[in-house]
Amino acid sequence: MRKEARKRPIPLLVLVLSCAAMLAGCANLPATTLYTYGDHATRVLDLLTPVFWMAVGVFVIVQGALVYTVIRFRSKQASAPVPTQIHGNTKIEIIWTIAPAFILLVIAVMTFRTQAANSYQPPEAMKIRAIAHQWWFEFQYDDGKIVTASDLYIPVGQSVQIQLEAADVMHNFWIPKLAGKTYMIPGKTNYLAFKATESGIFRAFCAEFCGESHGNMRFRVIALDPAEFAQWKTNYATTPAATNGTAQALGLTGDAARGAAIFADPKKQCAACHIIEGTTAKGKIGPNLTHYGNRLTIAAGVLPYTTDNLAQWLHDPASIKPGNLMGRVIKKGMLKDQEVADLVAYLDGMKFAVNMPAEK
Amino acid sequence: MAIAEQKLTSVSPATASSGSFPWRTWLATVDHKKIGIIYIVSAFVFFLLGGIEAMLMRVQLGTPNNTFLSADVYNQLFTMHATTMIFLMVMPMNVGIGNYVVPLMIGARDMAFPRLNALSIWLFLGGGLLLYLSFLTGGAPNGGWFAYAPLTQVQYSPTAGMDYWILGLGLTGIASIAGALNFIVTVLNMRAPGMSINRMPLFVWMNLVVSFIIIFAFPTFTVGSIQLLFDRQFGAAFFNPAQGGDAVLWQHLFWFFGHPEVYILILPVMGMISEILPVFSRKPIFGYSFVAFSGVGIGFLGFIVWAHHMFGVGMGPMANAFFAAASMVIAIPTGVKIFNWIATMWAGDVRLTTAMLYAIGFISMFIIGGISGITLASPPIDLQQTDTYYVVAHLHYVLFGGSILGLFAGAFYWFPKMTGRLLNERIGKIQFWLMMISFNITFFPMHIVGTEGMPRRIYTYEAGMGWDMWNLIETIGTFLLAFSVLIFIYNVLSSLRNGEVASNDPWDAATLEWTMPSPPPSYNFLHIPVVNSRRPLWDAKYPHAAGDDHHGPSSAPSQVRYEYTDEETEGAKDIHMPSLTFSPMIFSGGLTVASLGFIYINKDILGLPTRVAALGFILIGIVMVSIAIRGWILDSRKDSPYLSQHH
Repeated sequence: MRKEARKRPIPLLVLVLSCAAMLAGCANLPATTLYTYGDHATRVLDLLTPVFWMAVGVFVIVQGALVYTVIRFRSKQASAPVPTQIHGNTKIEIIWTIAPAFILLVIAVMTFRTQAANSYQPPEAMKIRAIAHQWWFEFQYDDGKIVTASDLYIPVGQSVQIQLEAADVMHNFWIPKLAGKTYMIPGKTNYLAFKATESGIFRAFCAEFCGESHGNMRFRVIALDPAEFAQWKTNYATTPAATNGTAQALGLTGDAARGAAIFADPKKQCAACHIIEGTTAKGKIGPNLTHYGNRLTIAAGVLPYTTDNLAQWLHDPASIKPGNLMGRVIKKGMLKDQEVADLVAYLDGMKFAVNMPAEK
Repeated sequence: MAIAEQKLTSVSPATASSGSFPWRTWLATVDHKKIGIIYIVSAFVFFLLGGIEAMLMRVQLGTPNNTFLSADVYNQLFTMHATTMIFLMVMPMNVGIGNYVVPLMIGARDMAFPRLNALSIWLFLGGGLLLYLSFLTGGAPNGGWFAYAPLTQVQYSPTAGMDYWILGLGLTGIASIAGALNFIVTVLNMRAPGMSINRMPLFVWMNLVVSFIIIFAFPTFTVGSIQLLFDRQFGAAFFNPAQGGDAVLWQHLFWFFGHPEVYILILPVMGMISEILPVFSRKPIFGYSFVAFSGVGIGFLGFIVWAHHMFGVGMGPMANAFFAAASMVIAIPTGVKIFNWIATMWAGDVRLTTAMLYAIGFISMFIIGGISGITLASPPIDLQQTDTYYVVAHLHYVLFGGSILGLFAGAFYWFPKMTGRLLNERIGKIQFWLMMISFNITFFPMHIVGTEGMPRRIYTYEAGMGWDMWNLIETIGTFLLAFSVLIFIYNVLSSLRNGEVASNDPWDAATLEWTMPSPPPSYNFLHIPVVNSRRPLWDAKYPHAAGDDHHGPSSAPSQVRYEYTDEETEGAKDIHMPSLTFSPMIFSGGLTVASLGFIYINKDILGLPTRVAALGFILIGIVMVSIAIRGWILDSRKDSPYLSQHH
């Protein structure tokens, strides 16, 4: 009476997709959790790997039993006799209640070992304070003597302890290749300790939905060899020299000295929100822009750092990062193209040399 | 309470419906079957709305740096997609099918409180419509279905969207609690003679468990969201750290409700699967008590795992370890269910009807969702996977691959009972395979992009992260998935008109609802059956095959009848059912209007006039509720021989 449908496509599809998944997972992509360069993330990977293979085993056994049962016992004829009415078997029930419990016990023990290691806060760790804002990350070193944003510099081979805070709403601090997530909560301080084991530039994200531009809230972690890290810190603590160079943006030649004047001009409101050490700019609402020319990205990871992208940002911040505070003040076209070019020259001029490692 | 004993006037559907659509008999109905169908149809409409929201989001995410949607609209859509699918689709769909089927399965003529039942459906619809009204009045909720503080405080979410969310869900929450109480009383008090607790069908068991979960879980959410409303409207600062509140407290209140909610969504569907698999294997369920009690176990354990949604908030390793262990333990009763389902089919005569295919598909996909859940129960792994697309994959394997595939199984299984016609099996099977394949195309790659570091809830992403191809594949899968839903709609519409006419018992089933005509008369059972086993209909049909049932039933066969003479059917006129009433609808309409007013009570968009209008709405609402209460009392008097005798 009823035509039986073939049931091979499901396991086949799942198999094909699983293989594709494993192959795809093998690539060292920018934010993959499967290639790790930090002790925290590596311990997670070392836990995930055996759990994954146990899961594959369970999947094959249970899914296999399901498919085998359906194929073997599917009705061959419309008038098949009534099968034997089996109501249950207590012994079998007890076995398949206890068997998964053993697997889970193994996973639980491994889990708690990893968790103990990953939640340990080494007292010798270098302390860095990270404060999340809608929608950018602020980083402070040495009790606030050094303040930067969007690029987190750390030394390789040394534990760092990040003190995590939030200025407005909840955010979440995540560097897939170095360490798992920890919430940044207003009114509460969390700590995350990890150690980068190789130098490199790593992708990082806000992982908790935090409002309109949550999708635009990223940062970079730059792990430097300890000597270079110390050099970076010394350089960063030095007040940038007054610049008077030029730069090309929007097809115009910007002048850094003019840019500095625009930045300081109260009518333009730049200095109301931003700090640049050694100048009159003392605003505390937006990110600290000292040594801005060293940034790897613009607008908290949204655009790669280029003078053209910086000009685009200054021209119309709201179109690049919807909802951001600066876009409410600096409307599209409020800064004339020449002013934008001058500002680009000024901001881009404030930099010092860093021996940047490769993106990993 | 026992309606069968009441002597009262009734409106026979035969006299009420002729010619045009009998609006009155539907809008004023207290019949659990009609209420069930209103639930099912409205939940399906919300399913389509939630699906459209999902498709819009998938178009946006199909390519990197896409500008198809703005960030704000995207945030509104993912908030409403989850809110819709959870509160306006899966929950009411479960309730609708339960409403229709549970009284029939236990041999009752209606729910224990038919008017309260009507109140539930109209409150649910009022809440759903209020939520969707927000799209037209300046912005839907945009703080996520989890509404984390302090993002949902008024300074970070200044549109009225979150107020709509709080009050809309508040109304559906009242509906759920009232419905749950109704189910509990119905199941505990109104079972047919002989149907002891350990003879109840497993679908009834799971509805009972879920009803208890609802009455313990929902009040926490209701209290929390009212506090949030006070924060937003009156600056109460419960969850606002800037004023000394505690943002993490909201997470505890929310997830103490939110995790049991997951079982509210899945357990009734597991009950459906436990009915469908035995029927199409022509065997009893394997390990009835283990399947029933694993459901009870999941219900209890569901209340001590909530903080596994919060491993990253800094509760400390000890608290995390407790919630991790509890979450892993919950895998055991879930596994027990899966093994028992497979054992039910083992050595059976497995008939691959569309309903059965969906039931098997449910198990298959739920296995994947369950396994990915284990990694999330481990805090260190969770901290890498949480808030990435890996979780999106996991939850869709559980809620779509689980709940929704199971609901399709239930739809194909009970459609003939509800409508009198069978759905087309051929189209059904095509739809099943298309849905299975497109479901996996859509959601399996999310495991991969999640592992590759793609966070959730981002409205766009940059190119070159290795996510582009998978996202495009997912988007294509979504369109195939939508197409399979269209095939289902076609199947329903064409089968309603031209489908094969269903007999009382088209599937050779075992439970009481299949003893009745399809669809059943308004009074359900002409004679209340006497039940002597777990499978009363099966045992009546196959008296010799039932012999080895050691688990409870007595040796006497159940007294079920499914053939009645015309003379007997004539006698049905003496069965009195509660009369039609608009009071529940007016009551819920009043609450909805008052809620709308409350949303704007403290908004100064247009200054004073807004506040006056808001107060006006509240006043109208109060008047409507008062009228409804009076009408309700009069209805009760009219319908109750005991009350009216005293006049």
